[in-house]
Amino acid sequence: MKLLVCIKQVPDMESKFKVGAEGLWYDRHDLAWLMNEYDEYGVEQAVQLKEQTGADLTVLSIGPEQVKETIKKALAMGCDRGVHIVDDQAHLKDPFEIASMIAEFAGDKGFDLIFTGMQSQDRGSAQVGVMVAELLTIAAVTTVVDFAFVDGQVTVKRELEGGVKAKVASKLPVLITCQLGLNAPRYPTLPNIMKAKKKEMLSLPATDLRKAAALQETMKIEFPAKRSGGLFLEGEVASIADRLIRILKEKTTVLA
Amino acid sequence: MNFELTEEQNLIREMVRGFAEAEVAPSATQRDEDEHFDRDLMFARLADLGLTGIVFPEEYGGAGADYLSYAIAVEELSRVCASTGVTLSAHLSLGSNPIYLFGTERQKKQFLTPLAQGEAMGAFGLTEPSAGSDAGGTRTFAVRDGNDWIVNGSKIFITNAGEAEIYVIFARTDKAAEKHHGISAFIVEKGTPGFTFGKKEKKMGIRSSPTMELVFENCRIPHENMLGEEGKGFKVAMKTLDGGRIGIASQALGIAQGALDATTTYVKERQQFNKPLNAFQGVQFQLADMATQVEAARLLVYNAAYRASAGLSYSQESAMAKLFASETAMRVTTQAVQLHGGYGYTREFPVERMMRDAKITEIYEGTSEIQRIVIGAALTR
Repeated sequence: MKLLVCIKQVPDMESKFKVGAEGLWYDRHDLAWLMNEYDEYGVEQAVQLKEQTGADLTVLSIGPEQVKETIKKALAMGCDRGVHIVDDQAHLKDPFEIASMIAEFAGDKGFDLIFTGMQSQDRGSAQVGVMVAELLTIAAVTTVVDFAFVDGQVTVKRELEGGVKAKVASKLPVLITCQLGLNAPRYPTLPNIMKAKKKEMLSLPATDLRKAAALQETMKIEFPAKRSGGLFLEGEVASIADRLIRILKEKTTVLA
Repeated sequence: MNFELTEEQNLIREMVRGFAEAEVAPSATQRDEDEHFDRDLMFARLADLGLTGIVFPEEYGGAGADYLSYAIAVEELSRVCASTGVTLSAHLSLGSNPIYLFGTERQKKQFLTPLAQGEAMGAFGLTEPSAGSDAGGTRTFAVRDGNDWIVNGSKIFITNAGEAEIYVIFARTDKAAEKHHGISAFIVEKGTPGFTFGKKEKKMGIRSSPTMELVFENCRIPHENMLGEEGKGFKVAMKTLDGGRIGIASQALGIAQGALDATTTYVKERQQFNKPLNAFQGVQFQLADMATQVEAARLLVYNAAYRASAGLSYSQESAMAKLFASETAMRVTTQAVQLHGGYGYTREFPVERMMRDAKITEIYEGTSEIQRIVIGAALTR
């Protein structure tokens, strides 16, 4: 069995963000970089499946030279080999362009299962995974919070609105997008971090892949306007309570 | 000259920080309060993550990483809990490293491998009531009896004592020799008849790290457990302490960084005179001084660690790193308490613990005064 997990390197969300010079994305300077949280669930699930079945596990990421560090983390967590699609402009590409690159790489490899995060923490489009499945004409099951592989079939739980879960079964090949709660990603142990540098790492220039045209264009990014200060209710306690209840009823869903 | 960490070192920092914040930090205050050593958390989990043998070769169960990776690991643990940081430092630098440096192949297989894999914990017994900074005052004696040495005496202030399974200890094997001559090093296992533990110290800081007395009463240690050459134990001790200083310097650096981080967060939240504390330039100046000192300490510590891995001399550099980092930790934590005001003096906030923890770094594994002697002697040799 062959597995692929697709990961993205994103800034530490605790970072101080600035809008970049062109106004199309955040400024990439002076940020600390980590593996996208949802992709960590994908890596963990893929490694668990590898441990269960002995499957071969490839990890793929697209971006500049620095994303190799995040690929190494996935290798240290247990992936067998890394594929780095080298693209300094990846952060400006739309979900279809990214999905097209992954699909072109994966097209002739015969992966039985592909894991991606449900979305990235920075762009948050939640489109790349499902587009890859579409381009490969395989099934996609999204927002997965529970995963089992038995007798050649995948059974998962999907998270729906209001905490409801749907149980879905799928034959292979299938693409899974991973949601918070699926698992607790392991720490890459120190010996495995050291061994990761000996694992195979394939570098593939993005220019070697067929270029897909973007389907959408980011026109501008900006910070939300500063919110006005809170609302202070003054006066008699009984009157404050009445007005508070009215506001909560009208403006929120706290009180039905 | 390259000041950038490697990908591996960055990943090691990320991994240890993630572990430290998620698993070690939550119980740090309570463990300090209760003087509780949580072995599962403070040692077994470190072993799971491959931290107990960071710098040793894979053939002895280690991870084959460099000293800088080790320094980063101790720094990150100490940033949230100095007791956990010193547990690793005493185990690795003091309990395990002398066996790696001076052990025979058999000793390495028998003792270093379980230490590196974290199946056993290590400790180091040099200090005695009459021999602290002056190791020449050693009054623990070992007398040869056939294939054994019979050891009598005691060691005090021993980190990891009681918990550790393997101890490297020092005893005078030549009664006639003076000062630091005639001292030999031995490996002794917990449970050896005649080897017991005395009182547990009640300390100002690093309270969740156990510190106890080792007592030897006609304790028989086989000659094959002598570490290094007979009578050359002083050299074993000094070489071990050269490396140990990197561990304690890293611990001090982590404490200082933890106090700085806590303070940076606090001054943005705390309001006085209708503005947050960080809006006052006087506060900004203090933070700037703290951060600058921490960064200077980091460069000294990393340089000493780099030299140790590169096979360069590092005795003087590790003494400088330990001296500066420990005094930085004391200054920065004191200033952190000051900036927290009354809250900083309470146990509701972590900075008072950090201030108590910082003090020991100026004392153990060579006091600040001893570090100055080491540095001064190297300059005027």
